Amino acid sequence: MFKKIYAWLDERVGFDGLYKNLLDRPEPHGNWWNTLGSASLFLFIMQGATGIFLTVYYTPSPDHAYDSIQYIMNGVAFGWLIRGIHHWGASLMVLIVFIHMLRTFFSASYKYPRELTWIVGSLLFLLTLGMGFTGYLLPFNQRAYWATVVATEIGGVVPGIGDFILKALRGGTDVSALTLSRFFSAHIWMLPAALAGLIGVHLYLIMRHGESAYPDQDD
Amino acid sequence: MNDDFKKKVNEKYEEKLQKGERFWPDSIYKDLLVSFALFILLIGLATFIGIHPEPKVDPTDASYVPRPEWYFLFLFEFLKYFPGEIEWVGAAVIPGILVLALILLPLYDKNPFRHYSKRKFAIGLMTFIVIGMIGLTINAVITTPPQVETEIAGSLTEQIVLGQDLYSIQCVECHGPDGEGGEIAGVEGLEGVIVKSISSTDEMYTRNDGSLFDIIAYGQPNLGMPPFGGAYGGELTPSEIEYMVAFMRYSWDDRAEIPADAVAASAIPTLAEGEVPSYEVHISAVSKRYCMSCHREGKENNEYLMGSYEEILKSGNNVPNLVAGDLNSILLQTIQQNEVIGVDDETIGVMPPKKELKPEFVDMFIRWVEAGMPESASEAAALSVEVAPEVEGEVAPEAGVEETPAP
Repeated sequence: MFKKIYAWLDERVGFDGLYKNLLDRPEPHGNWWNTLGSASLFLFIMQGATGIFLTVYYTPSPDHAYDSIQYIMNGVAFGWLIRGIHHWGASLMVLIVFIHMLRTFFSASYKYPRELTWIVGSLLFLLTLGMGFTGYLLPFNQRAYWATVVATEIGGVVPGIGDFILKALRGGTDVSALTLSRFFSAHIWMLPAALAGLIGVHLYLIMRHGESAYPDQDD
Repeated sequence: MNDDFKKKVNEKYEEKLQKGERFWPDSIYKDLLVSFALFILLIGLATFIGIHPEPKVDPTDASYVPRPEWYFLFLFEFLKYFPGEIEWVGAAVIPGILVLALILLPLYDKNPFRHYSKRKFAIGLMTFIVIGMIGLTINAVITTPPQVETEIAGSLTEQIVLGQDLYSIQCVECHGPDGEGGEIAGVEGLEGVIVKSISSTDEMYTRNDGSLFDIIAYGQPNLGMPPFGGAYGGELTPSEIEYMVAFMRYSWDDRAEIPADAVAASAIPTLAEGEVPSYEVHISAVSKRYCMSCHREGKENNEYLMGSYEEILKSGNNVPNLVAGDLNSILLQTIQQNEVIGVDDETIGVMPPKKELKPEFVDMFIRWVEAGMPESASEAAALSVEVAPEVEGEVAPEAGVEETPAP
């Protein structure tokens, strides 16, 4: 019975090809530093999964954001765990992505033929920081509010276009309900979509060129 | 970059692949192991450290020290070196250049060598930048002043208990411990004003939480009630007012069911027979609930404050307020409805001025003074007399009340 199902699926999916192309790839000798990329991907998936659960109860309005998070922490079964993982996962993801980038830099893995992999990767790092920045406001507590007030003010000092940046970030002159809905939208739709797309490109490039080898004396 | 060079690089890579390993299972098992370790780490952090509670937004609170997430601290600190007119250099120009330099790195780094020994400049520069970032982060952590911590309630129970404490301090002098109102006594400027009950069904059914919040925050100046919200000159934050509203709603509104653990947590502990009360457990709970609304800094109270053990014994114009074992002590007399003549021949009225203290609390004070006013629970326990439990099921006083059949 299972054999039949497997055969039916295999005929359509092609497990053999998948195995050969995805899993049975040759690689140069690596070490533990090579696990940071997949760890970043794992954290991205964790953040996505916990984030999706959080949106079930979270309300992105100044009147309800704080209370909805109080409810997630105290009322929802294991809500504290989901939010705790999302909170700590954010910090950990920035850290891991950053160390992954440093490793790539120090082993000079960004050189031919992996230049584009680096460019996409550095954009992924910036997007990760953007996720941290937009997610910070969402609990809408004192810390979130004042940090966003100051951070958006910094955007406002750029000569010429500062005023535009400030208003674009805040959706007006003050940090308000509009700022919150903007940050929420960026945090759950725009930035994750960009991240997911670029992660796809990043992974494709890695498979195309293979994992880089650590340099020898004569490299 | 010529084709020979590219060919050399590719051939070298092929060579390394020959001597290398397989993605499955050689390296994927390491990947899975690290990811699993991170997963456990996250669960541990969420469970054992959790998330630092923060108060609700208060845009009027200018004393709040804003601080970004830790991984932006270095940037925050970096900006301090670019004050005033040139802030935009630190905010936009330098970070902008660095970000572009980072993204486009492979395009301008023309050094064909990959080994560390042949990339001294690149590695040196990156090391310098990373150490700089770490240094700036540490500096930011050290130099940022600590935040003034306010009490944050998470669960409803915590909110109600904190709300009751705040209500006891802020509201009791005019509205009474149960919101019953009546004639105000001993409050500067409002002497003799009649306050209607705020805990009646009429009040509770016709005012939603939002109106209660607004009344507390804004006050009702025409009726004599001052504003309590920080935005209007009071001393309460929005979170604190919400806790008070939660306390009022759950204690007085018969449609809201107060959680059992909130009742237990806010109840003043009762005394068993022969037990000596302590300041720590009993007296402080009573004085906080019934006395401190007036007997605190800035109120008309003959300088008698009741915020701590020391203050209860030694503050005020009429010391000694309490003498160990002396049942004629001023405090004991006033709470038993006897007026006393103070040092400057001034009459000290009965306390609390509006509503008699419940007999069990008066009894608590008397037993405390008789026993020599122990401060901590352990001191009181040492003084307590163990009463042998009677065989014929003696009913504890509090249980007896509950068992009284409803009329």
